[in-house]
Amino acid sequence: MSRARVLLRSSPVRQSMWLSLLFVIASALSLGVTYYVAHGTQDRAIRESLMQDMAGFRATPSAAALAALVNAETAETDPQRRLLSYRRPGGRIVAGNAAIMQQQEGFRVVALGPAPVEIAGRFISLSAYIHGGLLTVAQSARPLDELRQTYLRVVLFSLLPAIAAAVLGGVLLARRAARSLAGIETTLSALTSGDLGARVPQMPGRQGDIARIGRSVNRMAEAQQQSTEALRQVSADIAHDLKTPIQRLAVQLQRLQDTPGLPEEAQALAGTALEETRGITSTFQALLQIAQLEEGAPRARFEPLDLCELAATFAEIYEPAAEEQGRRLSLSLPEAPAMVTGDRTLLGQLLANLIENALRHTPEGSAISLSLRHQGEATILSVRDHGPGIPEEERGKVLRRLYRLERSRTTPGSGLGLSLAAAIAGLHGAALQLSDAEPGLRVDVVFGT
Amino acid sequence: MKILVIEDDATTGPYVAAGLREEGHTADLVTDGREGLLQATAADYDVLIIDRMLPLLDGLSLIKTLRGAGVRTPAIMLTALSGVDDRIEGLEAGADDYLVKPFAFGELAARVAALARRPGLQEQETVLRAGDLEVDLVRRRVTRAGQEIELLPREFRLLEHLLRRKGRVQTRTMLLEAVWDISFDPQTNVVETHISRLRSKVDRPFGSGLIETVRGAGYRIAG
Repeated sequence: MSRARVLLRSSPVRQSMWLSLLFVIASALSLGVTYYVAHGTQDRAIRESLMQDMAGFRATPSAAALAALVNAETAETDPQRRLLSYRRPGGRIVAGNAAIMQQQEGFRVVALGPAPVEIAGRFISLSAYIHGGLLTVAQSARPLDELRQTYLRVVLFSLLPAIAAAVLGGVLLARRAARSLAGIETTLSALTSGDLGARVPQMPGRQGDIARIGRSVNRMAEAQQQSTEALRQVSADIAHDLKTPIQRLAVQLQRLQDTPGLPEEAQALAGTALEETRGITSTFQALLQIAQLEEGAPRARFEPLDLCELAATFAEIYEPAAEEQGRRLSLSLPEAPAMVTGDRTLLGQLLANLIENALRHTPEGSAISLSLRHQGEATILSVRDHGPGIPEEERGKVLRRLYRLERSRTTPGSGLGLSLAAAIAGLHGAALQLSDAEPGLRVDVVFGT
Repeated sequence: MKILVIEDDATTGPYVAAGLREEGHTADLVTDGREGLLQATAADYDVLIIDRMLPLLDGLSLIKTLRGAGVRTPAIMLTALSGVDDRIEGLEAGADDYLVKPFAFGELAARVAALARRPGLQEQETVLRAGDLEVDLVRRRVTRAGQEIELLPREFRLLEHLLRRKGRVQTRTMLLEAVWDISFDPQTNVVETHISRLRSKVDRPFGSGLIETVRGAGYRIAG
């Protein structure tokens, strides 16, 4: 969204817009009423003056006297302002300064004189039959037009600046509020992306609602940081308290294995036991890691990397293992590099977990394909196998920690591979989706949507 | 070599120290961070092995203090932690290598050897040799007894890595890190497979093996 649109949508601007609109309506109403009243008064004044004129003419004793009076008045009257016309029943103009003709589109007024001039503009007229002829007296309605002009000017020079001031004030207020809100927004997104030290900048002296929300956000962040610290500490303590004994166990098993003269059988047992300690550690490691990832920890170290290169490396790494089981691990990559921002080690673990999962839960000899493709804005990394798949109702559950399908209880694995993969995907803003490849399981990791 | 082990665990510490002595090194063992700091600054060691969680002064602070004081002795950090950031934190604090518990002694020994001779790496050379094997790094050409050998890029990197560290054991995880750029162990036999492919091209046709397997530890090219 453009900045202007964001600003327009912000609540202070909208409030000031509403206020301005209300102000405009109120002002327009009161101006309208005064205009109406003033217009009426003026209009009445013109009509009354016409009626007085007419009464004056009516007082003449004869047609000739009327004509003389009309002519006398005409001599002093500007036809643009006042029209007089007295005509006999035949239509011939006896006296006056104008001829009024009815035409299709209305009336036409032509000023009589040395050179007839057509008169434009609105007139208010009054006609009466006096002494057998038709006398028409008309006065220009220009004062009414001028009144309208004046009112329009009032609107232009008082109302418009007021509206402009209201809008400008609203925008300024909105920008101030937007700055405070932007501070809260950036802080919140920094907090969500794992920067737990982020705080809303405090403006001393401000007591507004936004400042108050800012302080609440900071208190919340403080509490979150503390509980995260506590969790980290607990994880570290557990790791230390459990891994150190495991290390001791491994050391002792190693010494046992290295003891000279140990029967071969005992040596093999010690070797198996050593392998087991490694299994325990990796389960344990995965659990700690998922906890850390779900906290949203280390995005600070993300860097741009090419998923194509990573996928190719891991296809190569697992190819021998696949070959040993008589499988084909195929790789399909797009032409262009697929750049994402992330942690190479973690994304490598994600890939390793998905491939291992496919190798582990499918029959020997079946094919596994690893592919990367672009779809619109998104880059999709898929691992597809031809195994038994995962029933739809179980798909949500396998992403949970330590959940294993009933039939997988006997296969090796910690039940953490997919949940670790999902946690890593989540940290990278990617979605991990499971679907039916008919037959087999298809895992899509959708980046960048 | 003279090695200082700073490890508070009553089983791991003595085991590591004893193992190092068996390999012919001189190993001193201290069991807390403060003592470790004193000892590391007082005597001249070739390598330090530092546990991350130590009483009195933890391993990270210890190594930061040492580096701050200008002590450049190569150091390996041992840790029970292996979180996402722990490894990077350790390296950033000034450790040269990082090993997650539980580890096999062979792994530690190989890494100690690698660290101690780090400055001796022949980075400037453009042709690496071992016996009648020659690797021209500029022209990416490999020959043995004058006969040219075709290698895939990954095989070339593997061979180059082993040749640059002639005479020193390289463990699986060290090779995964150096050749595949992976800092975790995906539990596959990719290293073994590549070593075997490399042997089939570099060793087998010539009837003599340059690439040795060191049981329980890794691989090396004798130098």
